[in-house]
Amino acid sequence: MTFRTFSLGLLGTFSLPWLLIVVVPYATMQRIQPVEFNEDDDGRTGPYVPARPGRVTDGAAVYAANGCYTCHTQLIRPTYAGSDMWREDWAGVHVAADNIDTRRETSVFDFNGEAFAQIGLTRTGPDLSNVGHRAESYVKGTETTPEEWFLMHLYNPRGDFEYWSSCPSNGHLFTVRKKTGQGSGDALAVKARKGREVIPTADARALASYLYSLQKDDQVPYSLNYSPDKKRAIEQ
Amino acid sequence: MATDSDTIKHADDDLRPLIDRSLRHPVMFFFTSAAAWLAVALILGIVASAKTHAPEFMGNVGWLVYGKAYAAHLNTLVYGWGCQAAFGVIIWLMARLSRKECRNPGTILLAGHVWNFAVLYGVIAILSGGGTGVPWMEFPAAVWPVLLISYVFIMAGSVVQFRCKEGGHTYISQWYLLGAIIWFPWVFTTANILIFNFNGHPVMDAGINAWFKSTLILLFFVPVGVAAAYYLAPKVTGRPVHSYALAQMGFWALAVIGPWTGMQKLAGAPIPQFLPYVGAAATVLFFIPAVTVAVNILKTVAGHASTVAASPTLRFTIAGIFGLLALGVMGVCLNFPAGLRFSQFSIAGYGFEILAIYGCFSMCSFAAMYFIVPRITRREWLSRRFISWHFYLSAYGVATIVICTIGGGLMQGAAQEYWNMPWSDAATRQYAYGWGTTVSWLFILFANVFFLLHLLLMWARLGRRSQHPTLLHQHHSESPHGPEGDIDEIQAANA
Repeated sequence: MTFRTFSLGLLGTFSLPWLLIVVVPYATMQRIQPVEFNEDDDGRTGPYVPARPGRVTDGAAVYAANGCYTCHTQLIRPTYAGSDMWREDWAGVHVAADNIDTRRETSVFDFNGEAFAQIGLTRTGPDLSNVGHRAESYVKGTETTPEEWFLMHLYNPRGDFEYWSSCPSNGHLFTVRKKTGQGSGDALAVKARKGREVIPTADARALASYLYSLQKDDQVPYSLNYSPDKKRAIEQ
Repeated sequence: MATDSDTIKHADDDLRPLIDRSLRHPVMFFFTSAAAWLAVALILGIVASAKTHAPEFMGNVGWLVYGKAYAAHLNTLVYGWGCQAAFGVIIWLMARLSRKECRNPGTILLAGHVWNFAVLYGVIAILSGGGTGVPWMEFPAAVWPVLLISYVFIMAGSVVQFRCKEGGHTYISQWYLLGAIIWFPWVFTTANILIFNFNGHPVMDAGINAWFKSTLILLFFVPVGVAAAYYLAPKVTGRPVHSYALAQMGFWALAVIGPWTGMQKLAGAPIPQFLPYVGAAATVLFFIPAVTVAVNILKTVAGHASTVAASPTLRFTIAGIFGLLALGVMGVCLNFPAGLRFSQFSIAGYGFEILAIYGCFSMCSFAAMYFIVPRITRREWLSRRFISWHFYLSAYGVATIVICTIGGGLMQGAAQEYWNMPWSDAATRQYAYGWGTTVSWLFILFANVFFLLHLLLMWARLGRRSQHPTLLHQHHSESPHGPEGDIDEIQAANA
């Protein structure tokens, strides 16, 4: 084998997959156009923009820096690849009585505003695609807001019902300081040493806001809806 | 033409010590700093692993929160230990096989220092909360160009040596080395530029990251390990490689299959459908080059069981080859369509990475280090016991980790699939396996602290001044290496 054949072989065997599975799909995915709603299918018009209230960009940076992706995924796979769709409150909202079903697979638009899709490495913890909605259901009927629930959970993940959880406490995202007067309105409702209060840092707030933004309860265009019993707007 | 081959042999005898001496400082620098980073990676690995089953362990230390410790563990393992061990092996093997002295040891040393400082900066950044959140690429985005530039300076000499090599013949190890030298910057640059510098789609970025991890393993770490094995097995047993045709087939199979792997991590994600399945198919097919190489090496040493038992180098080589074989088998089990849903989001993925980096690549690198270090320091390893502890704790440790993470991972994956069972069932199922992993990492740390100590003593040239290699069993009444004695005195007397 001469050096020439060797180099040509190496060049050929690597550059073909490099082009076909890296460069070309990358360029194609860069040019994805928004999907439009239309009157016949969806009963409304305009482009589909996933509703993500919350601090997506800086919250995602805190999520990344603390390695949350090591244990949490953000991917609802189609049923041929996994059973994620059927886990309660993972893929969307399903209220059979009210005929509400927003369950769906993850779409390309779900990561709008993020630099890197945190698909995740393992599911040591649950999938977070719809965790914002779950937090809402946990605090239903109480004074606590979903963001506050997230802050409490970040401070002590084994605080309420998940005593078995191996999620790390993110104490470094909070400051414990001396309580003055009636105390701060931002203080967490957790036990602290006498005369002290626990205040979330800006990072903790960004992260809680980001987690709350992870919800799958809005209407998607007909073409993105993979529900088996979906109906077009004009048929309803 | 007996006289010709005699002349070449004499020229080689003179040349080898010159090559070894020219590379002494760079190679020892890479080996010792790699071993030191390995110790750091193992400590971080123990902390991270302990946190999976005891979440309050060091729970108040913000810079060691699980996600950061885990990221720092893998990044030090890959860039601190893996890459630097590979650099040492590549520059030494390439110089020896091309019969060329190293002309730029100063440049390599300088670039090696830059590499180490870049890794140190990156690890500190991860632990202090500046990680990028891209697996295996958590170092801040400013670090990768520095790593790439120092890589070019480290490797340039080896490419030049190969281009102007003497003798015309290209040995099998050189294909793998040259492949690794070229694949690494290609993969590394592509992934980093596309993820950090271009504004791509976030999901495709995740796909490229998965491709990066897989190709770094299969096209850099595995080839360097295989190159070392193809050099060491024939060298120590004194037999030619079993089959040249098989070797050629193994190399080209890897070159053809390797670059397609990786994206199966995104099965079911919104990227073009064929990508994850091409990745899964290619990773399954990796079985072919793995088996080809393993058969070839094992056939080469067949019938030399006592040499394998006695020689530290050969023992580690064979362990690494069994690691490669296991990697091929695991590639099939974890990525077969039926198995993929159980392995995709379980700790089995981590098990596969550790099997590749520690079970295959590192074992082959240790083998190379046990062979190379005595030659460049002109001292023999001090302690037979240190070496056999290193071997047994490493081999059994990594085997336990792989069983715990891959076996436990599949159990965990199965629990995840039972969608009508509570989530706590899936989440708690891995705790027991986490315990096993932590304990095994402790054993491996123990092994490598001894290895690091041994290596530092050798670096300080405190090794045995003998011309008898340190073997694990002494059962020759007469040694093929001549009478026992001080190597310097004997060589002076001969001269």
